[in-house]
Amino acid sequence: MYRTAANRLLHHASLIKISAGSHLRRLPILGTVITSSRFSTTADLQTSPNQTFHPSDSSTSSSSSSTAGDDSRHGSKNPRAEYEEEQARVLQASLRHVIKFGWSEEAMITGAKEVGVSPSIVGSFPRKEAALVEFFMDDCLQRLIHRIDSGEELQQLIPSQRISKLVRVRLEMQAPHISKWPQALSIQAHPMNVPTSFKQRAMLVNEIWHAAGDEASDIDWYVKRTFLGGIYSTTEIYMLTDRSPEFRDTWLFLDDRVKDAFDLKKTIQEATYLAEAVGAGMGSSLQGFVGKVFQR
Amino acid sequence: MALRLLTRNLRNRISPNLCSASLLHSHATSFGFKEVREEEKSQMVGKVFSNVASNYDLMNDFMSAGLHRLWKDRLVSKLTPFPGMKHLDVAGGTGDVAFRILESINSIRRRALQDPINDDLQEETRIYVCDINQNMLNVGKNRALERGLGEDKSLVWVQGDAEALSFEDNSMDGYTIAFGIRNVTHIEKVLTEAYRVLKRGGRFLCLELSHVEIPVFKELYDLYSFSVIPRLGEVVAGDRESYQYLVESIRRFPPQEKFASMIADAGFQKVEYENLVGGVVAIHSGLKI
Repeated sequence: MYRTAANRLLHHASLIKISAGSHLRRLPILGTVITSSRFSTTADLQTSPNQTFHPSDSSTSSSSSSTAGDDSRHGSKNPRAEYEEEQARVLQASLRHVIKFGWSEEAMITGAKEVGVSPSIVGSFPRKEAALVEFFMDDCLQRLIHRIDSGEELQQLIPSQRISKLVRVRLEMQAPHISKWPQALSIQAHPMNVPTSFKQRAMLVNEIWHAAGDEASDIDWYVKRTFLGGIYSTTEIYMLTDRSPEFRDTWLFLDDRVKDAFDLKKTIQEATYLAEAVGAGMGSSLQGFVGKVFQR
Repeated sequence: MALRLLTRNLRNRISPNLCSASLLHSHATSFGFKEVREEEKSQMVGKVFSNVASNYDLMNDFMSAGLHRLWKDRLVSKLTPFPGMKHLDVAGGTGDVAFRILESINSIRRRALQDPINDDLQEETRIYVCDINQNMLNVGKNRALERGLGEDKSLVWVQGDAEALSFEDNSMDGYTIAFGIRNVTHIEKVLTEAYRVLKRGGRFLCLELSHVEIPVFKELYDLYSFSVIPRLGEVVAGDRESYQYLVESIRRFPPQEKFASMIADAGFQKVEYENLVGGVVAIHSGLKI
């Protein structure tokens, strides 16, 4: 009871974080590609009239430019969302063509045609194919969160089973694209795209741990996420070459890895206890020894 | 041919109205650093480009040390052309940008040669080269012949005014204007026209000489433009005035931020710009939704 309430809270928090994250993620990219992000962020719009970008301007022209900024601030609230919506629609349609064309411009051009937008819009994505892969990753994460929020099935499982279940649910989402997934991985591994793909994976792993009922915030936090990140990625790679029906081998592999990890955790814990015990024993015997020496 | 006739007819029909309207309230506008009456500017610019047409590319190479080729490549790569595209290249008389777009589309086609759908699409590709100056268009047509593109149906040469285009609303996938918008009398009108002819999802791209703000580089650049370029024009093209106009008109063009807000005011979204060589040129882009 208590726990579900806490979970719900956590989910809401993480949802907000994600939406904020996805928003923030877009900004630095734009910022690096373009020198001016004035027209892509509301925050910048508000600050820009105060900053003097062009000191050579006379006062009249700078004031007129700031009013232009004001106009676009009022007007652009909706249109800005509009063009992003349009881009999302194009990407959504493009996903259907990935099987045929791969994660490529062709798929995006076909997608744009399908939704009745000029394929020129593809040029407005700063890192074209990466935008498609990242959209897919975000989409999958959203679906996973929905699944977590709606499903009662997780409640009966123990943490290790919950984790392997969630990883499985997530990986099953990319099963339709499995023949083209190596290409997606290579796009994600491109130096330009690594920051985003790394962040997306981190968010995914975080989400799974939260759903598994983990609320730790100590050093363990990093260890757990590193472990799960490793398990997720190795399973993802294993899946690429898995020819068994419905990826049965992959899920066995996944269960084994999760079990290994939990065993390792237990082993480490036992090792610590052992070390503590040995240390205590050593300590007391040393104390005794020293005491004896001094007594004499 | 029919299209060109149509354009001319349209232009004839439109231009008297325009002239009378502009005569009624004639404002001063800039021709380089000089203030001239609005209706004079287009004539004077026309004269400049008639003068330089024959040496245009030679001088571009000289002045930019060949860099203008890279800038145009960058422009086209930002555009992402695709087979079946309807593209309008304004002020592109010599065909530099149009040839690049066509090349890019042809290479895409070669990549997907096994796909019969793309072959049909290739037939539909149209790149309209629109320029107000017939001399510049003639240079472009000759170059197309030299390149063996004379018979290519994809290239359409149209004489027309960027402020009053003869194309239908929502008819273009892309719009580029390279080193042209600086020379028009009303930048706003050109932007409005660009917005009008573009389809939903179509993109506007503008390559233009712009403003350098990097301290030391700015001084060097100014020195180069005011001392070297006019002299270069005199020696190579035998025409000092035209190149004096060129460097002055660059200084009169609105700075990057201002121009970006003008594009946004015309209705474009996702307006961005990228400075090349520290702002010597800038590529502005906008998306029509």
